[in-house]
Amino acid sequence: MSPGRFTGLVTVAGMLFLWLPLLVVVLFSLHTTASLSFPFDGFSLRWYERISESPEVRAAARNSLVVATSTALVTLVLATLAAYGMSRSRSRWRAPLSLLFFLPITLPGLFIGIALLIAFSRLEYSLSLVTVTVAHLVYVFPFFFLLARAALERLDPALEEAAADLGATGWTIFRRVTLPQVWPVLVGAACLAFALSFDEFIITFFVVGPDPTLPLFIWSSLRRTIDPSINAISTLLLAFTVLLFVVTFALTSWGERRRRGTVDPLVLTGAQEPR
Amino acid sequence: MSGDPRVRIEGVSHRYGAVAALEDVSLDIADGEFVTLLGPSGCGKTTLLRIVAGFERPSAGRVLLAGEDVTGRPAHKRATNMVFQRPTLFPHLDVFANVAFGLQVAGVGKADQRARVREALELVRLEGYERRRSHELSGGQMQRIALARALVNRPKVLLLDEPLSALDLKIRLDMEVELRRVHRETGATFVYVTHDQREAMALSDRIAVMNAGRIEQIGAPTDVYRRPTSVFAAQFVGDANVLPVDVVEAGDEESTVQLGDTRHQVRCPRPQPGPAWLVLRPEAVEMRAGTPEETPGTLQGIVRDVAFRGTGFGCRIELPALGAQVKAEGRGATPPFDVDDEVGIDWRPESCWLLPRERGDDTPPPPVTSEPESDPAQARA
Repeated sequence: MSPGRFTGLVTVAGMLFLWLPLLVVVLFSLHTTASLSFPFDGFSLRWYERISESPEVRAAARNSLVVATSTALVTLVLATLAAYGMSRSRSRWRAPLSLLFFLPITLPGLFIGIALLIAFSRLEYSLSLVTVTVAHLVYVFPFFFLLARAALERLDPALEEAAADLGATGWTIFRRVTLPQVWPVLVGAACLAFALSFDEFIITFFVVGPDPTLPLFIWSSLRRTIDPSINAISTLLLAFTVLLFVVTFALTSWGERRRRGTVDPLVLTGAQEPR
Repeated sequence: MSGDPRVRIEGVSHRYGAVAALEDVSLDIADGEFVTLLGPSGCGKTTLLRIVAGFERPSAGRVLLAGEDVTGRPAHKRATNMVFQRPTLFPHLDVFANVAFGLQVAGVGKADQRARVREALELVRLEGYERRRSHELSGGQMQRIALARALVNRPKVLLLDEPLSALDLKIRLDMEVELRRVHRETGATFVYVTHDQREAMALSDRIAVMNAGRIEQIGAPTDVYRRPTSVFAAQFVGDANVLPVDVVEAGDEESTVQLGDTRHQVRCPRPQPGPAWLVLRPEAVEMRAGTPEETPGTLQGIVRDVAFRGTGFGCRIELPALGAQVKAEGRGATPPFDVDDEVGIDWRPESCWLLPRERGDDTPPPPVTSEPESDPAQARA
């Protein structure tokens, strides 16, 4: 067997291993019968209809939306401020502080979950969607912080100096010069925060109250019965999350291209007339 | 404010950590003057400009604008505007919004904004470019828009930090013409930073030659070129041969110096008798072909290199008596000499200059080449 063929075969095997289970879930979410095994009897949307009529699924989906939206918005504000401060600081504490901001990215979910559960019970704070949101903030903050700080540090500090020289003060500079250049990245990062929160399971499992989020609902349904409506929910969750990641990617790369529009080195030296 | 200079820099010193960037610099700049801070990288010229702009606060000393102490005042509260080394147009805004930025921040009305932006764009000859984005502009156009963005605020003092250094030579020469015209038309005070001595001489009313955090000499370009006060200034501004001589007869008008075996006349007022440096510009060197017998009274040399320069020929001539080489320029359409030709060199008394020299010091310091400035923002990081 030639090396090229071997590489091709391994690639195909790897792809099948990654994607086949997902395809099976998607396929059986469209099955006409309740059977979860082959032979496949035909396509229908009955399981999607069923979940759309189920009050429990709707409640769980609503809970997840509320938690993910609040998590994304609060993170957007807090982590942007933290990243802006860190990217503009000249303090010698800048590096250690920055590390503390994103180090939680390495913490196991299990650890965050247990730690927060202990904290909430010590504070005698009863578990609810609020505790879930707080837990998700802890979880997604470092991801957002890293993306936002990277984008802010790539900005040319001379642009902010130019704005100050033209009479603008700190807030005006941020609003009129800094933010317009980085907002696509920030919105993209907020989408990522939303997606991370929306399908988070481990940490949520520890700090959830009486109202389940969608992943927790799926898990608890699986313990009772197994029917294709679970596949339908999972497929929707998958589609939604993939969409959010695509939006994140598109926004961050568009923002980067837009920002770089000025520094084509050939145009800069005058060697080439702009298009 | 009547008698006060437009800009007064008074005993300014600045250090970055343990590194002294400026040491006790004082400088007065008159209203409407075009003053250039000229020096090699790291001489403190950009730091001084940033202190005048308000981006840095000096460790010691004061900055006064029209008699008013602004030392502690941040950049956004000063009547100065700056054109940066790199084009710093806001990439998310079009040309109009870039130029109008300062006016909008100051709360100028819409109609006034439009009129003043048009006026500023006319000044830099880019009328009709309002709706362009910065990536649709060439490097030269970007710097002209940056100039318009600064001038639209009608600053009393315009600060320019190597604005042409990122541009190609041809565009740079055109931009020099533009800058001189804009300076004439606005009547504003220009403070210009560059490492390019040619640019400094072409643009300025006065040049402040800076070296190692101090001003070595300040004067009109012709003065600095013809009557340098230090070997550094002589070598940094224009090309110079610096040769060790001894003043044997000091006169009020002309003096006689001993150079190797020959004596020459020099027009330089009242030099100290004894050791001195002779500053000889390449274009002042007169060359005659021939052996010592054929060219009496001249300094004997051997041609080591001849290079065509367009307007003439650049020669390097070795002087065996001094163990030194001199640069000389020959005019004309054909090469004046071949390599290894014997020549005698001489010069007119009024086309050279003398500087004090310590006894025993007979090798001039190596000239500092003016390399392109590294980015100040990166240098600080």
